[in-house]
Amino acid sequence: VQKKLLKKILIVLFCIGGFILIGSLIPNFLTYNNLINITRQSAMIAMCAVGMAVVLISGGMDLSTPGIIALSPMISAILMLAGLNMYIAIAIGLLSGIIIGIVSGVLISNINIPAFIATYVVGQIASGIALVLGKGASIGGLPRGYMMIGNGSIFDIPISTIIMILYVIAGSIMMEKMRIGKHIYAHGGSELTVKFEGININKLKYFAYAASGFCTASAGILLSSQMNAVHPTQGADYLLDSVAAATIGGVSLLGGEGKIWTAAVGALFMGALRNALTMLGIHPFFQNIFVGTVIIVVVAVSVLSKNKDMESAKVF
Amino acid sequence: MSGDIEMNNEMEIKKVNFSAIKEYSRDFLKYQGNVIIFLIIWLFAMIFVKNFATVENNVNIIKQSAIPVITCLGMTLVLMIGGIDLSVGYLVGLGSYISGMFVVMMGLPVALSVIFTLLIGLLCGLVNGTLVQIVKIPPFIVTLGTGYIIYGLAQILSNGTALNGLPKEFLAVGRTNILGLPSSVWIGLIVVLAFYFLIHRTVFGRSLASIGLNVNASFLSGINDKLIIVSTYAICGMMSTLVGVLMALRVNNCTPIMGGGDHTFVTITAAILGGASLSGGKGTAWGAVLGVFTITIIENIVNLSGINYYIFKAVLSAVILSAIVFENLKNKILQ
Repeated sequence: VQKKLLKKILIVLFCIGGFILIGSLIPNFLTYNNLINITRQSAMIAMCAVGMAVVLISGGMDLSTPGIIALSPMISAILMLAGLNMYIAIAIGLLSGIIIGIVSGVLISNINIPAFIATYVVGQIASGIALVLGKGASIGGLPRGYMMIGNGSIFDIPISTIIMILYVIAGSIMMEKMRIGKHIYAHGGSELTVKFEGININKLKYFAYAASGFCTASAGILLSSQMNAVHPTQGADYLLDSVAAATIGGVSLLGGEGKIWTAAVGALFMGALRNALTMLGIHPFFQNIFVGTVIIVVVAVSVLSKNKDMESAKVF
Repeated sequence: MSGDIEMNNEMEIKKVNFSAIKEYSRDFLKYQGNVIIFLIIWLFAMIFVKNFATVENNVNIIKQSAIPVITCLGMTLVLMIGGIDLSVGYLVGLGSYISGMFVVMMGLPVALSVIFTLLIGLLCGLVNGTLVQIVKIPPFIVTLGTGYIIYGLAQILSNGTALNGLPKEFLAVGRTNILGLPSSVWIGLIVVLAFYFLIHRTVFGRSLASIGLNVNASFLSGINDKLIIVSTYAICGMMSTLVGVLMALRVNNCTPIMGGGDHTFVTITAAILGGASLSGGKGTAWGAVLGVFTITIIENIVNLSGINYYIFKAVLSAVILSAIVFENLKNKILQ
């Protein structure tokens, strides 16, 4: 056990050391302002990655991200412009995310549609509704208080960063200290076992997808408050990025493995990578290649190290 | 059941015949659900949608479906072995731009440039397959990563521009009129027939389903699983770039943003509608064709009925969703 702990500490130290070493080579990268700016910019992807991690750990997949990121803030913005109280409007926007998540959950658990297809189609419907609500254009002129959520800061720390950290803490507590979280881990490991234990699988799936919808809706609202506008296609990039962030953070796509906070770290890592590449003056076209390579290399390393452990148990 | 028939009771024989018909129709419902969905949607459109029931419109649907069918067949192969390929859409963009680059900017002969483009697709597919099979990374991640890389490459090559006004001899590859249909439709048909042969009439095709159902059992029964999995991804990659070339010729424009993530997901949805399963082991060439036709017809209906452009995607997805729900509920009832 101690050897494993030592290994973990070494990995963390290695990551921090590498970060500082590489960071110091890039001019203006390791400054307080830049680092805090990275956390502010990647807050949305980190929150999406937290939701995505819950679903991935349960053994599913959530492709409705782009739809929810567009639709939930669109609903809040329209209600706000109609004169509704800001907090109630935001609450209704978050609720819409939860409802979309539950719809996906019902389609997946009760009608047995593969998660991949069900969530994709639900997301497409949501983004279609967002387009209709916004009449194909972005909505601006939101109240000042709303804008402050994304752009304000407390003691020099942006509110976006604080919200992100709160989500990561809440998600970690839910998944590691609460019963439902343990059940989600178990479900990702083996659905049949959980079923025979007498746990209500359907409820579990509703919960996982609702949690993901909630996180994604919050990310969408934060994004629109940072931009002070809601654009109906603002979520297009967030789908693959959040899956990639969760994967870089060590969440297994096969389910049952991974931690919430590491998924968020994966998102921050991707944000830092993009930021560093921009600082170095590398054209955005090349950034996709870097991100793709990093995804493959990170997962390859973890797979190869796992294979070594399993070598002794090999049959073939 | 044969014991029942031997009884010389008329009533019994009638019952047996009836149950045989019932069983047959049940089997049909179970295994050919995609045919039923396709027919329901097509008949509905023929009767209720204005301007749908013209020869011209139906020919148009064939023209529109012929190209995506090719990617859908490649995806069906990958789904059959229990994998998935998310790089398909980006490979379409890369193939589209690269073929134009070879012809317009480098001045290579048309045949050679198409072959080079297909080889590049094959190479990308080989990389996917190697990473999946040799390094054992889950296919979702591999193809997600290579998708990013391929998209980046296409963007770098194109530098954000598109190629317009392709030369005539290049356009002729996909636009020559043969028996009233453009040659891209005939290319699609040839690919469908080739895939039908490959999936249903060769050892390779049988091995695909076998690997999708159980890799270890296939390995133990002497199937070269590594070779088959790698070559499946390679074929899928090659088909994607072929689609890229044909699409570019259809719209007379070579751009890396052709295809994209949307194309990938629509392809997967079509394959699922056509009876393939994400868990592997299922899939037919015939089903892939039907799946693509179903989606094109739904698109056509939505277009013809003058639905608001903004809600187009939502309606399309809702209809696809109801088709899948229908299929699943039917299977649930039959079991």
